[in-house]
Amino acid sequence: MATNSPPSIDHSRPPLYRDVTVVKWVVQIAALALTLGALWFLADQAGDNLRASNVPTDYDFLSVNPGIDLSSGIDTDPDTGGRALWVGMVNTLRMAVAGIFVATILGVIVGLARLSNNWLLQKIGTVFVETLRNVPLLVQILFYGAVFASLDRVTKDVGPINGWLHLSNKGLSLPRVHIADGFYQWLIVMCIGIFIANEFRKRRIRQQDATGEESYPLLSAFAVLTFVAAVGWFIHPIFGFVGEIFGALSSFVSGIPQTVLQIAIGVLCVGSSALWIRSFLNSRRTPAGLARLTDDDYFRMIFAAVGGILGAIFFLILWPGLSSWMINSLSDLFNVLSNKFGDGRTGRPIDVDLPNIVQTGKFPNYGPSGLNFSIGFAAVFFGVVFYTAAFIAEIVRGGILAVPKGQSEAAAALGLKRATALRRVIIPQAARVMLPPLGNQYLNLTKNTSLAIAVGYSDIVQVGQTVYNQTGKTLPVVSIWMLFYLSCSLSISVIVNFFNVRMRIVER
Amino acid sequence: MENRDAILTIPDENGSLPPKAPNLSIGQWFRKNLFSTWVNGILTVLGTAAALLMLRGVLNFVFSENRQWDAVRTNARALMTLTYPESQYVRVWVAFGSVVVLAGLSAGIWADWGRLPARRLAGWFMGAAGFLAVCILVREPSVLMDLEGKTIRLPDGSLVRESFASAMTDRANWWAVVALLLIVGGVIWRSDSDKKQLKITQVTYLGIGLGVLSLWVAPYGHYAFTDGTYIADPNSTVAFSTKMPWTVMWIMLAIGFFAGRWLRTSSYLVLAKAGSNLLWLISPVTLYFVILRDPALDYSHVFSTDLPMGLAFGILGACFLWFLTRSDIGEIGRILATAMLGIAIFNWVAAFFGWYPMLQKARISFLLLAVAALLAPNFVGEAAKRRQLLLGWLGTMALVHYLATMINTPSTVELQSTEFLGGLGLTLFVAVFVVLLSFPLGVLLALGRTSKFPIFRILSTSYIEVIRGVPLISVLIFFSVMVPLFLPDGMELAELGAVLTGYTLFSAAYLAENVRGGLQSVTKGQYEAADAIGLTSAQRTGFIVLPQALRVSIPQLVGQVIATFKETSLLAIIGLFDFLRVANSVIPAQSEFMGVKREGILLVAVIYFFFNFVISKYSQRLERRVGLGER
Repeated sequence: MATNSPPSIDHSRPPLYRDVTVVKWVVQIAALALTLGALWFLADQAGDNLRASNVPTDYDFLSVNPGIDLSSGIDTDPDTGGRALWVGMVNTLRMAVAGIFVATILGVIVGLARLSNNWLLQKIGTVFVETLRNVPLLVQILFYGAVFASLDRVTKDVGPINGWLHLSNKGLSLPRVHIADGFYQWLIVMCIGIFIANEFRKRRIRQQDATGEESYPLLSAFAVLTFVAAVGWFIHPIFGFVGEIFGALSSFVSGIPQTVLQIAIGVLCVGSSALWIRSFLNSRRTPAGLARLTDDDYFRMIFAAVGGILGAIFFLILWPGLSSWMINSLSDLFNVLSNKFGDGRTGRPIDVDLPNIVQTGKFPNYGPSGLNFSIGFAAVFFGVVFYTAAFIAEIVRGGILAVPKGQSEAAAALGLKRATALRRVIIPQAARVMLPPLGNQYLNLTKNTSLAIAVGYSDIVQVGQTVYNQTGKTLPVVSIWMLFYLSCSLSISVIVNFFNVRMRIVER
Repeated sequence: MENRDAILTIPDENGSLPPKAPNLSIGQWFRKNLFSTWVNGILTVLGTAAALLMLRGVLNFVFSENRQWDAVRTNARALMTLTYPESQYVRVWVAFGSVVVLAGLSAGIWADWGRLPARRLAGWFMGAAGFLAVCILVREPSVLMDLEGKTIRLPDGSLVRESFASAMTDRANWWAVVALLLIVGGVIWRSDSDKKQLKITQVTYLGIGLGVLSLWVAPYGHYAFTDGTYIADPNSTVAFSTKMPWTVMWIMLAIGFFAGRWLRTSSYLVLAKAGSNLLWLISPVTLYFVILRDPALDYSHVFSTDLPMGLAFGILGACFLWFLTRSDIGEIGRILATAMLGIAIFNWVAAFFGWYPMLQKARISFLLLAVAALLAPNFVGEAAKRRQLLLGWLGTMALVHYLATMINTPSTVELQSTEFLGGLGLTLFVAVFVVLLSFPLGVLLALGRTSKFPIFRILSTSYIEVIRGVPLISVLIFFSVMVPLFLPDGMELAELGAVLTGYTLFSAAYLAENVRGGLQSVTKGQYEAADAIGLTSAQRTGFIVLPQALRVSIPQLVGQVIATFKETSLLAIIGLFDFLRVANSVIPAQSEFMGVKREGILLVAVIYFFFNFVISKYSQRLERRVGLGER
């Protein structure tokens, strides 16, 4: 060891245990090993304990009938555990999308009210924001739930608008707009329509730039889209042949041998790490040749190489089922898609069903044809909407206040009307400030829908809890929750980032 | 504050003062703020109508004949502490009293809330009177009751209400309150000929005092639920066991406050500030001990084990550190410190596998000693620096061993339920401990995420992002179900402990993001300057970067505290009896108050609102005081 060498000799490098690079990497690798070791130890312990209590951790329950009824969703009597969780996911997404939509509108209104020069509106906005954001969401949800539960019982004519809108202690029943058999063929027409409309818009903009006359590009593009949609409503059956293409794709995919895909995955792992190393070396290359690599750089390249090879080994040897799973699910996906087309799908793409009240047993209840929102849905919906709207209002207010006053003065000096100034000058700049925190709020709203468990709305957490209470498989269910929410978070941040990049000030 | 104002109002070069806001008459004010344009006028009318309708809805809800506020009044104690035994209840008051004294003391030492013009106070009284009058007018006339106390309904099911005139006469006592408020406001306004300024602190104490004194005279009603018997006596004053402690609390608050005021002018101010900070620091654990543990310590154990151990660690550790900070120590110091770290970690590994027994206190002390030894090279040199390290070490040992001894006693409080604490007490307990525990972890994670070391960065980033991507409820369920499975045989953790762990880990990820924002706002020049004067990276982080980063992130950190407090309500879902759970499931299950939910939840909402509102207002003051956005 270098420690034993006498101090009189002048080292070009310090001893090993004082060498910054070495110590740095030893500490890091030790930390990594410690973390992985601790995780492995805990997982091992949990595995032992689970085996001891005869609850194996597997995902069998996904294909077993759980025998549970859900309070609301696309399928209230699912025949497998996986289907039940799927219904829960759809319910969560439904709640999240509806909540984001309404909360944004309400939040913008309240935010603008707080900035209004009307004293009363300002105060109402302030009371709204301060009250709702200082009371925990769960308390609000429970309160709304308790209030809704004390509404009148369902009767044959519970009203308020019979046949169209029913409100009672069973919830809200509305006309249901749903996709019907020709929808996917119509969707293809719509895609073509969007393409045509976009081209049309671009042409109109060119025209406006050339002549200087107002040519209403957006408005006319929208008119074209409406026209195409209306035509497509009747001629969509001609796209029935698309189903055969998907069918052919499905049989092609299922014909791919498993080993080919497996080797492809392995090559992908090794290849991507090799590519990374190459691009890394390229970035270090100067016109004079390869720059001197530091120890850090060598460490990075070794890490990338080891990572790539380990990944390949993992996919080739430890998890060979992945490729067959990928083949099967892709083939299934194409199969499902092919069934959505052709085969006498000639009806309307979109249909409306009016709500009804049926009496099967002793008490009347909402029938299946309307769009029924349970009390749980209403409580969670109002909870997340009000709570998030209070935060969004503050974001909107802050964003608009962040636009320098000179901007609106300059717009006025140019002779822009107030509405135009708002649309063209203020809001684009405010949006740039508002977007990141707004995305954060959307994320929070999505996660907050999990509180539905408190009022019995069947979102993924509630369904998952019912499933693991019956099967005892907590760990798999929790892992599905986490994956689901992580992918939701990821998709929202990808969307927000996309807009963020688009709206960024272009710098030199 | 006054100086700054003076600077700001200095006349500019032409000698002209900036224009003052004109004093508008009432008519002008209305025209400017409510009816400036047609649209504004319409919005004002609509807004007034909407506000009055909302107010009417709230009043009708709160004062409805269907409300059973008795349920909340009777269960007040359950909402606060659930089933804490009556015989031991004095402990709760002692704990609360110490917090109150500390709060009064700190307010006396630190707070300077300025002055309040007497005319504004009068204005508040009159405004309150006006608001109350509007409330009395908009509340719907009461529903008529028959002799059995049931509402009278017409054949078509609609309710029969009394006439407006009789409703107004029924509310005569409320009108009397309005008149009283008006008179008090008027008297203050008239008597204030010389534009007096009142001290806000004194007005506050007087207000609280009057409120407390009214407990002795005003007939708020006596409601209780003791030993299964239900007492409801609407015409008497509140129970003696309520008004007596609250009066004592108020007196203690006042004593603490005046002691603080006296200390402020005395020469002990620095000592008093340090002392009150230290007391706040140790109060959570001490109060936990006061409420739940045996106040009579097992003194034979204390003298035979705890005290010698603390002394041994203090003295031997001090000798060790003194040796490590000799100026000619060289490389050996580092080797010894690393060896000490090895021993400390080995102790924990051995604990997991059960190789040899050792008190947890000793393991923690070894770990702290290793950390101190690793820091020792920073203090090598002259005697003053070395003494600093030794004093710090002795202080840490005294504090840690004191706290560990306190916690480590058996509980003597026997409760009827399986939960050892419930209600608001549990909520506050969880909130305080989660905030305290997640703070250091969050700072470490933030430092890891902004570190130059890629593996630390990847580890902390993935941890933070994963935790922030999932909802708290899934984390809490995961921990309450899975932690018992993760532990090796023979180790146990109460459900509250598991939940606290999960919540702390969750909260730390969010806190780390807030601290990271602060860290990124520290300019590069600060790092370079620290490097230039030869600070080590630990010194640079501790003395230069973190203080600035934390100051910048104060608003976000307070926001995080509020969020943490709000989310303690989730304890109700995973089966702990916090006060939301008491309101939502315990009260509605009592035979006297079957299904009475809304009243309790409304009270819980008001309590949460009160705490959060006060904290957020305080944080705004704090922001102004540390001069964020100005310096």
